[in-house]
Amino acid sequence: MTLASATVRSERRGPPGGSQDKRSRPAGRSAGTWFLVLPALIPILVLSVGPLLYGIALAFTDAQSGRTRSTQWVGGLNFQDLLHDTLFWDSFRIGLVWAFGVTVPQFVLALGLALLLNQNLRMRWLARALAIIPWAMPEVVVGLMWRLVYNPDAGILNETIRDLGLGDGRDWLTGLATALPAVIVVGVWAGMPQTTVALLAGLQNTPQELHEAAALDGAGAWRRFRTVTWPVLRPVALAITALNFIWNFNSFALVYVLTNGGPGGRTRLPMLFAYEEAFHYGQFGYAAAMGCVMVAVISVILAVYLAGRLRGGEDR
Amino acid sequence: MRASLRTTAAAAATALALLLTGCAGTDDGRDASGRIELSFQSLAWQKESVDANKQLVKEWNEAHPDIHVSYVQGSWDTVHDQLLTSFEGDEAPDIIHDASDDLADFAYSGYLADLRGLLPGRLTADIPRQSWSTTTFGEGVYGVPFLQEPRVLIANTKILTESGVRVPTPDEPWSWDEFRQVTKELTGKGRYGVAWPLKEPVSVTLNLGLSGGGRLFHRGADGKVTIRAGEGDQVVPGTIHDQVDTDHSASRTALGMGGSDTLPGFFGGKYAMVPLGFSYRQQVVEQAPEGFEWTVLPAPAGSAGLAQGVSPQTLSVAEASPHKKEAAQFIDFMLRPPNMVRLAKGDWMLPTGTAALADPSLHTAENGWATGVAVAKALRPAPAQSVRGYPEWKDKVATPALQEYYSGAIGAQELRKRLVDDGNRVLARYQR
Amino acid sequence: MSMRTSRTARAGQYAALLGYLVFLAFPFLWLISTAFKPARELGSLHPTWIPDHPTLDNFRKAFDEQPLLQAAANSLIAAVCAALIAVVVATPMAYVMARRRSRLSTAATGWVVISQAFPLVLLIIPLFLILKNLHLINTLWGLIMVYVVWALPFALWMLVGYVRAVPAELEEAASVDGAGRLRTLVSVTAPLLAPGIVATALFAFITAWNELFFALVLLKTPEKQTLPVVLTHFIGAEGAADLGPLAAAAFLATLPSLVIFAIIQRRITGGMLAGAVKS
Repeated sequence: MTLASATVRSERRGPPGGSQDKRSRPAGRSAGTWFLVLPALIPILVLSVGPLLYGIALAFTDAQSGRTRSTQWVGGLNFQDLLHDTLFWDSFRIGLVWAFGVTVPQFVLALGLALLLNQNLRMRWLARALAIIPWAMPEVVVGLMWRLVYNPDAGILNETIRDLGLGDGRDWLTGLATALPAVIVVGVWAGMPQTTVALLAGLQNTPQELHEAAALDGAGAWRRFRTVTWPVLRPVALAITALNFIWNFNSFALVYVLTNGGPGGRTRLPMLFAYEEAFHYGQFGYAAAMGCVMVAVISVILAVYLAGRLRGGEDR
Repeated sequence: MRASLRTTAAAAATALALLLTGCAGTDDGRDASGRIELSFQSLAWQKESVDANKQLVKEWNEAHPDIHVSYVQGSWDTVHDQLLTSFEGDEAPDIIHDASDDLADFAYSGYLADLRGLLPGRLTADIPRQSWSTTTFGEGVYGVPFLQEPRVLIANTKILTESGVRVPTPDEPWSWDEFRQVTKELTGKGRYGVAWPLKEPVSVTLNLGLSGGGRLFHRGADGKVTIRAGEGDQVVPGTIHDQVDTDHSASRTALGMGGSDTLPGFFGGKYAMVPLGFSYRQQVVEQAPEGFEWTVLPAPAGSAGLAQGVSPQTLSVAEASPHKKEAAQFIDFMLRPPNMVRLAKGDWMLPTGTAALADPSLHTAENGWATGVAVAKALRPAPAQSVRGYPEWKDKVATPALQEYYSGAIGAQELRKRLVDDGNRVLARYQR
Repeated sequence: MSMRTSRTARAGQYAALLGYLVFLAFPFLWLISTAFKPARELGSLHPTWIPDHPTLDNFRKAFDEQPLLQAAANSLIAAVCAALIAVVVATPMAYVMARRRSRLSTAATGWVVISQAFPLVLLIIPLFLILKNLHLINTLWGLIMVYVVWALPFALWMLVGYVRAVPAELEEAASVDGAGRLRTLVSVTAPLLAPGIVATALFAFITAWNELFFALVLLKTPEKQTLPVVLTHFIGAEGAADLGPLAAAAFLATLPSLVIFAIIQRRITGGMLAGAVKS
């Protein structure tokens, strides 16, 4: 493994805080520190923290595109409107279905693949190379590519279904019932490599000796996984699923290219919805309010998830 | 507050900005030698039409050394979002190619120049009044409509002749009932009478709906627009719905397709007819297998005859352009009758100008040109395109509602409720 | 553990692996197949995996129809600049975050995590308005600055991991030997950090190379647009698409990141993991 994961191992041994304090040096270097930190800090403040605060402020205005109007404070009016905007909540529900629908299979499939790739199988190199492909592709290309696959008449999926005698195929991306599942499959496909690679790195971190000892004790594969592998993998799994969830909930390009929110709004993720509101209808303030609601809900979900999981870890 | 936030942010980043951009000079659209620089953003998509546009720009530049036009390629798919943000960012092209149904919000927001007084009498007189009405918003005229396409039926000649159904002509088109009957007859094993590519169902439904007397949008005495559904509004949606869900003479899978997605099935004999925009003939010509015979038929007619709505392609001038007069001159040049014919042929569409439409080369029966020209006089402005809030109604309310109705998920009652009740709520937000 | 694996289990593993390979690879193979098919085969109702008459027409058409070279050049400039600037500003900060325990480090770490949760929509509107006031809308520089900030969280995350992997004792030993702080950094820390920095830069490069959303909103004039934006142009009105050239262009756009990924795959893993476990 690489340098970095070696550290991971060493750090896990000691209490996390302790080893760090030892490394810290006494004060008396603040000028130097600022010199090191400022180049990153300034752009972060101007183009990340600033816009965030600005965005939150915008949510309380009636900012719109146009040469003719001036912007005014409207207090919570946008949020009130949002409360009654059933289309937005539909979209929000779709966003949650999408985020869970992608994150969970992504994790399960990636875990399976990572376990396989961790075995001493032949052709493993090929599998590793192929597993990376989706990650390396621009999301736009992934979307375009799957459009080709899903194409009802000229696509390979329906042709395969016809060849296997399973019927006439479907209009995957444009059918009201199939669009969201079809898009979710693409989401799983596109996000699997990252998850796999992270989990694989975690797996390669499990001490081989423990595994062998457990095997000699006669522990079955499942028990070995439960008692030896999983405890080591847990922090990685926790972090990567949390990140995946956020990324998925906020994803844009994939669905923008695949369906652009159609058919009938069935795949209109909240990001797409807010994008349309801002850059299609020019309702900047209203769109910013949507963004605020999204941040709030995501934070709550994550807080619950991480808190629950971390506590679960302590109980054991 | 926006101002103060802006100042803070701007001040914080000024140093960086100066480093990166140098001082932003004033831009009056002239280059160093005093030559006027104009940018023309074209949405031409098919190769022939890109070539025609670029060629015309080249000819203009050769004839006008003091006014240089640069060709900029845009895209239909993203044009609205792209224009909105360029207007906001003060980066809009001087001459803007778009479609009339996309102009309303830009015109009302003050981004487009009122062309009255800028265009020469020749051009104003050449284009019929009803075409002008597609680009008239409030008092002003915000674009020159120059190309339009009716929706036509592209049919598989062999299937049509074998079935023995009456072949319609512009003088004697099918009625909507007859059309429904015919598609039933054309349907057979592994074959549908028609495939409706309704990925964007709203404009098709509204535009063809005019033939059955559909209107949907009603402007009251106070100038406010409301949506009401009458008998005539149900003719076209009803026919499509029945073809798909009752007769099974229209393919269900095709409902979600865009026009070109239906072509493989059409060439393969899976669909006997496809209602498509007139310009799709270009793709048919290019992709049809050897020996495939096809023909262009007029769309069915209703109580209002062959009437159907169109949203012509338009050329507009940005309000922020420092050289509106020259930009209008360029538009006039592009749309001289011979040039309009070239653009029309490049896009496989019909010109709006009467002089161009009379050009003999457009009256050939080859590739169905003559059928299109014959339908041209029945073309009307697409309903509702001048209504504020129409785009949002279309995307958020009408598209999902129609898609669900056509696929059989909801009935006519629910469709009407959504189009009207939900629709009026959206419109109200824009008409406060 | 391989010694205990029975033959049937092994067979099952190979079958599962094959399933994964098919799932992961077939869309890409279909893309390649489509890219080499002539128009008539693309219009066929019964498409085949191997084109009957393979052709390069689609590639020629793709270059004819859209300014692909220009777009690729724009993407390259944006991605290279963003990657370089990102590591240049991130490395010192990551060093401080890894070695010092201060309120600043804590705040920065917090931001790294939180910034992942921002919906871009909330950021893009203010960014758009701010950049507009700086006259940076529709410039590659504006886009590059956005990309730098956008790549920073992940770059910091990775780099902090790499810095921690360099034993602080080494630096202490060097300073005990009388080397100045700067010299210690340059002669001891930097060489050990170099592979990590390269991996981080390449990662930032790919992120920028692939990015659509910001480019879509911030770049207006077509000659400034990046590759992902231009790719969306192959989809015309009503979703009509010219499948062949679309596939050809998409295939070409993927090659650079595929190559880079092949090179840095393992290093990224390490960095990601180190960061992941720490947070």
